[in-house]
Amino acid sequence: MSILVDIQHVSKKYKDAPRAAVNDLTFSIDKGNVFGLLGPNGAGKTTFISMLCGLFPTSSGEIYINGKTHKTHSKECKQVIGVVPQEIALYPKLTAWENLMFLGHMYGLSGTSLKENVKENLRILGLEENMHQKIVSYSGGMKRRVNLIAGLLHNPQLLILDEPTVGVDVQSKQAIIEHLKKLNRENGMTILYTSHHLEEAEDFCSHIAIIDDGKLITQGATKQLIADNNCKSIEEVYLKITGVKFRDK
Amino acid sequence: MKLLYSIYKEYKVLTRDRAGLAITFIMPTVLILIITLIQDTTFRSVNEASVPLLIVDRDHDSLSSVLETSLIKSKFFVITKKQLSDEETKKEIATGNFFIGIIIPENTSKKLREKSSARISKLLGSFSGDTTAVAEPLDTSKLKVQLYFDPITKKSFKTTISNSIERIISQIEMQSMVSSLNEKMKESFPLATPSKLELTPIVSLTEEYASYNNSTIIPNSVQHNVPAWTLFAMFFICIPLAGNIIRERDDGSAFRLLTMPGSYMIVILGKMLTYVIVSLIQFALMLCVGVFILPLLGLPELNIGNNLPVLFLVAFAAGLAATGFGLLVGTIATSHDQASLFGAVFVIILAAIGGIWVPTFVMPEVMKKIAVISPLNWGLEAFYGIFLRNFGFKEIFPEVAKLLLFFGASLGGSYLYQKYKRLK
Repeated sequence: MSILVDIQHVSKKYKDAPRAAVNDLTFSIDKGNVFGLLGPNGAGKTTFISMLCGLFPTSSGEIYINGKTHKTHSKECKQVIGVVPQEIALYPKLTAWENLMFLGHMYGLSGTSLKENVKENLRILGLEENMHQKIVSYSGGMKRRVNLIAGLLHNPQLLILDEPTVGVDVQSKQAIIEHLKKLNRENGMTILYTSHHLEEAEDFCSHIAIIDDGKLITQGATKQLIADNNCKSIEEVYLKITGVKFRDK
Repeated sequence: MKLLYSIYKEYKVLTRDRAGLAITFIMPTVLILIITLIQDTTFRSVNEASVPLLIVDRDHDSLSSVLETSLIKSKFFVITKKQLSDEETKKEIATGNFFIGIIIPENTSKKLREKSSARISKLLGSFSGDTTAVAEPLDTSKLKVQLYFDPITKKSFKTTISNSIERIISQIEMQSMVSSLNEKMKESFPLATPSKLELTPIVSLTEEYASYNNSTIIPNSVQHNVPAWTLFAMFFICIPLAGNIIRERDDGSAFRLLTMPGSYMIVILGKMLTYVIVSLIQFALMLCVGVFILPLLGLPELNIGNNLPVLFLVAFAAGLAATGFGLLVGTIATSHDQASLFGAVFVIILAAIGGIWVPTFVMPEVMKKIAVISPLNWGLEAFYGIFLRNFGFKEIFPEVAKLLLFFGASLGGSYLYQKYKRLK
């Protein structure tokens, strides 16, 4: 398998911060992997994702996406990425259709292909009948599903999911995970997934990395990681590695 | 295509935001209507134009008719004649129905003629040696014409009006004296056929407003308030615009848009263009209020001059300055509440010092100097120039340039702040 994302000694220290938010991270994500990035609150996941998306530069080290960096090939790197933020990043007064058409245009898509793409995604995630309703009238699960579609419109090579199933009902969660699995299986879409649902991560991710205090603690194939740590689940591995101390400061 | 769709999205979001629409369009309309009505009388006292004047004529003779004709000729006054008591006249003025009330007592003309005749007889008697005429004491008591002024009338205006009326009465006195002299001379020289004494003024003042293109339009309440509150509303757009930017930042939309290739700048540009278009619509709407609605309320019609392209150029520059400011507020503020508070307070301060509430021409000297730092003042001065002085592009260019520089500075400030935060 070839490498899609290559992280080389990446660090980030915010000005005036006592310590680095991300400290010398080095790992890679192969094409077609579902890669879980786990860690307690404040571990550095959001900072890392922001740098991966090219929102701000690294303090040191390099992030390569398809062998290119944001510094020199920002447009190409961004074209590869689709992002599903933890927040419902949609316009509540617009309908699902209007939101997705707008975001599609922002990805540079247009015309019949965009319309068909939006319709198809809405149909798959069970939103076809409600597509002309305003987002504000949607349930939490429906909003999450539209939020997911928004990141998929341009058929990205790398889909970054930040807590995609937080606060949704079991049915919506099931629909989202199943759709993501299908995209990975059928389209070979690489997925970077962060969540606090460790059971879901274990079921969904082929590979997992655990970071804490900005540092990479462990990484590997999910099953291998459980076996290497003599544990029964990823949750056990996670607690064994990160401890039980509260991290909220 | 991206830009057009971004503008379309902003249009959809805006038109579905009723509170935002109310702030954008209803607030300035209501402000213009209320403030113009409130300030109309005050402006009229400053303008010295179309002053409502009440004449209570108990004389019904030459003095009252000559006085009335002269007052009409002066074009300062809108004259109403009524037969009222002193108390009733006073009440009419006190309630603000009239600015000035004049009571001409009974027989004033007759007494004026008698007094003039007595003075001329005494004068001529002293020449002819008529000792009885010279010895007879003159009645030096003065005939009284009562004037009442509205208490809100400015002292300088009151003095001007009193002087004008006094001058008219002096002319009438002079005419009366001359006709008495004529009569006496006729008695002494019955065979003479004297020519009529020319009484037109020998010295006259030539007055002209030092304005461009011979325009002599004097600012009134409408010509101040329509552009003033339109500018205020245009700058108030910074609040919904900043709120829009912060909402996108808070709900992750900005994050998503920033991860798209080159899209966020287009989204911001789309936002700004949309809000500039909104501010131009606001401006056109407020002009319509000034031209069509205000006259229905008894207020003067807005005279928009004769240079519409230049007028809209100023509105465009002001719209850009306002959206630039909104972008800066949206970039710096960390919450919607902070943006609303900061934006509103700042615009109100800029409006206050810029002469939106109280026009700069009635401000103390020190405030006039401070006013020039406000972008709202630059816009207002440009509108004054077009409405009142028929300014063209060349004359309003400095104000437009200042507004565009403010826009550029706001954009630059937003960019630098964003860059600083990104690198932090």
